[in-house]
Amino acid sequence: MMKTYKIVVLGDFGVGKTSLIRRYVLDEFSDQYRATMGVHLYKHTDRIATEGGQSEIRLVVWDIEGAPLPSGQTQRYVVGASAALVVGDLTRADPYSAMWSAADMFEEQLPGRPMAFALNKRDLSDAPSPDVVKRMERRYDGPVFETSAMNGEGVLHAFHSLGKSILARNL
Amino acid sequence: MSDFSPGGINPEIVLTAMRAVAIRVSEDLTVREVSGDAFDVQIETDVREAIPALYGMEDVLRDGPPISIPFVQLNDDTTPPVTVSSARDKLTGALWLVLRDVSEESEVQRQLVQNHNALALAEAELRAARDAALAADRTKTSFLANVSHELRTPLHVIIGGASILSKPRSTALDPDEVVGYASDMHESGVLLLQLVDDLIDLSRSETGDLTLYEEWCDLNEIVDKMVGLGRELPDAAGVILEAKHIMKAPRVFADGRRIKQILLNLISNAIKAVAQRSDGEVRVSVDRHDDGSACLIVQDNGPGMSEEDLAIAREPFGQPRAAVRSKGAGLGLAIVDRLAKLHGGALIITTEPGQGLRAFVHFDATRFGDKI
Ligand SMILES: Nc1nc2c(ncn2[C@@H]2O[C@H](COP(=O)(O)OP(=O)(O)OP(=O)(O)O)[C@@H](O)[C@H]2O)c(=O)[nH]1
Ligand SMILES: [Mg+2]
Repeated sequence: MMKTYKIVVLGDFGVGKTSLIRRYVLDEFSDQYRATMGVHLYKHTDRIATEGGQSEIRLVVWDIEGAPLPSGQTQRYVVGASAALVVGDLTRADPYSAMWSAADMFEEQLPGRPMAFALNKRDLSDAPSPDVVKRMERRYDGPVFETSAMNGEGVLHAFHSLGKSILARNL
Repeated sequence: MSDFSPGGINPEIVLTAMRAVAIRVSEDLTVREVSGDAFDVQIETDVREAIPALYGMEDVLRDGPPISIPFVQLNDDTTPPVTVSSARDKLTGALWLVLRDVSEESEVQRQLVQNHNALALAEAELRAARDAALAADRTKTSFLANVSHELRTPLHVIIGGASILSKPRSTALDPDEVVGYASDMHESGVLLLQLVDDLIDLSRSETGDLTLYEEWCDLNEIVDKMVGLGRELPDAAGVILEAKHIMKAPRVFADGRRIKQILLNLISNAIKAVAQRSDGEVRVSVDRHDDGSACLIVQDNGPGMSEEDLAIAREPFGQPRAAVRSKGAGLGLAIVDRLAKLHGGALIITTEPGQGLRAFVHFDATRFGDKI
C-alpha cells in the first residue's frame, strides 16, 4: 500500500489555517470565520514535481485548533507528523511570536522534520520585513511563503514545498 | 464479548450507551475484532482507513506510549467527531483502539472556542484601531507644532517691529527704517492671513464644508491674472514666469476663485523652487485633450523632488524635510489636491530630483461648455 503522510498546520487562531487548507484541497474560500475546535482531517492526493519527474503523494492534512501558545493537546496532535506548515497573519500587530512558539514546539517534538512558513492574508497587508523572513528561514531551515487563502497566492507553493521535502527525505 | 457476567459489566452495553467501539488490531494494523456497533468498522480492513487520524502514527501505536487524540473530525462529515485512544491489554498484549463519539461535548466546546476567539479577534482589532487613532493624533500634534512654528515666525516680526515703532525713541529712526519695519510687518501680516485662510480651507475640506460657487469661467483669463500676481510674489524677481495660451480657450464650469487659488498655490511653489537659480523658469499653460478634458499645467526647472519627499509634501499633516518645506506650513499642495478633487478633477505631479517639477490639474470633459 502506498504510504500516506501526515502534515500538521499550526498557528494562532484566526490566522487562516483552515482557509489555506481549504484553498489547497478544495480550491474554495469563505470570508466567514468558523473557529476550528479540536482537529479536522483532510485527505488529499496530489502530484508533485520532483527530481525524477512527477510523483504522487497521499496526504492527511491536520487542521488544528489555533492558539497563541501550543497546548498539551496541540502536542498530542503533532505525534507522527511528517511535516508542519506554520501559519501567521500579516495583518496582526505581531504576526510572528505565535509562529515562533509553534515552530519551537514542533521542532522539539519531532526534531529535524521539515517545516514551512506561511505569512498569510497577504492580500490585506504589505510585504513582511525581509529581516524577519530571513531569520525565520535560517532558524528553522524552512522556506517562508507569502500567502493569501483569499486569492490563492503562494498556497500551492507552500504545500508543495513540504511535499517535496517529505518525498526527498523519504520520511 | 456478548455473554453477560453477573456482577460485572457488559462492555457492549457500556459502549453502546457511550456511542463508542473498541477495536482490536494486529501489529500490521488490521482490524481483528470490533466490540460495539456505534461505528461502521469492518473486520480485516486496515484500521487507518476507518480512522485516518492514525496515518503517521504506526510506529507510536506499535512501540510508543498509549495515544489519545481528542476531538477528531473528518472534513467530509461522514462521521461524527470522535476521540481516539489506544491501550494494550495487559494479559494478552493485544492492541485495542477505542473510538468514542463526542458530538455533544464537541458542539458545546466549539461554541466556547468560537466565542472566545471571535472576542479576542475583535479586541485585537479595537486595539489596532486605537493605536491607529493615537498615531493619527500624534501626526495632528506634530502638524499643530508645525503650524504653530509657522505662526510664530511672522508674529515675532510683527510684535518686534511694532514694539520698536511704538517706543518714544522711534522718532529717532530715519524714515527709510520706519518704512522697512512697516513693510516687514505688512508682509508678515499677509503671510499670516494666507496661512489662516489655508488652515480654514483645509479643515473645511476635511469636514466636507467647503462648497464651490460654480460659474462659467475663462481659463485663459484666469491664467493671465494669476501669472500677473505671481510676478509680484517676493521671490519672483529674476524668475522667468510665462503663460502659454491655447487658441480656443474653453470655458470651464468651476469655482473661479478656487481655480485662481489652485494656480496661485502652484505658481508660488514653483517660484520658490526656482528662486535660487539664475535661470529660473516657470511656465503656466492650459492643455486640451482629444477627449474634451483639459489640464492646467505649472512647470518649473527647480530641483525637483524624490518620490518620498513628494508624498510628504502632498500630505497636510506630514512634516516635509526642511529642504522641501516652504512657507505656509506646506499646506499648498494639500489644498490644491482637495480643491481639484472637489471639482471632480485630480492633481497629478511628475518630478524627479534634478528634473524640475510639473503639476497637472486635470478637469473632466463634462466641465467644459463646448464639444471638441
Ligand atoms: N482577506 C483574507 N482573509 C483571510 C485569509 N485567510 C483567512 N482569512 C479570513 O480570516 C478568518 C479566519 O480564517 P480561518 O481559516 O478560519 O482561521 P484559522 O487559522 O483556521 O482559525 P482557528 O480555526 O480559530 O485556529 C476568516 O474570516 C477567513 O475568511 C486571507 O488570506 N485573506
Ligand atoms: Mg481553523
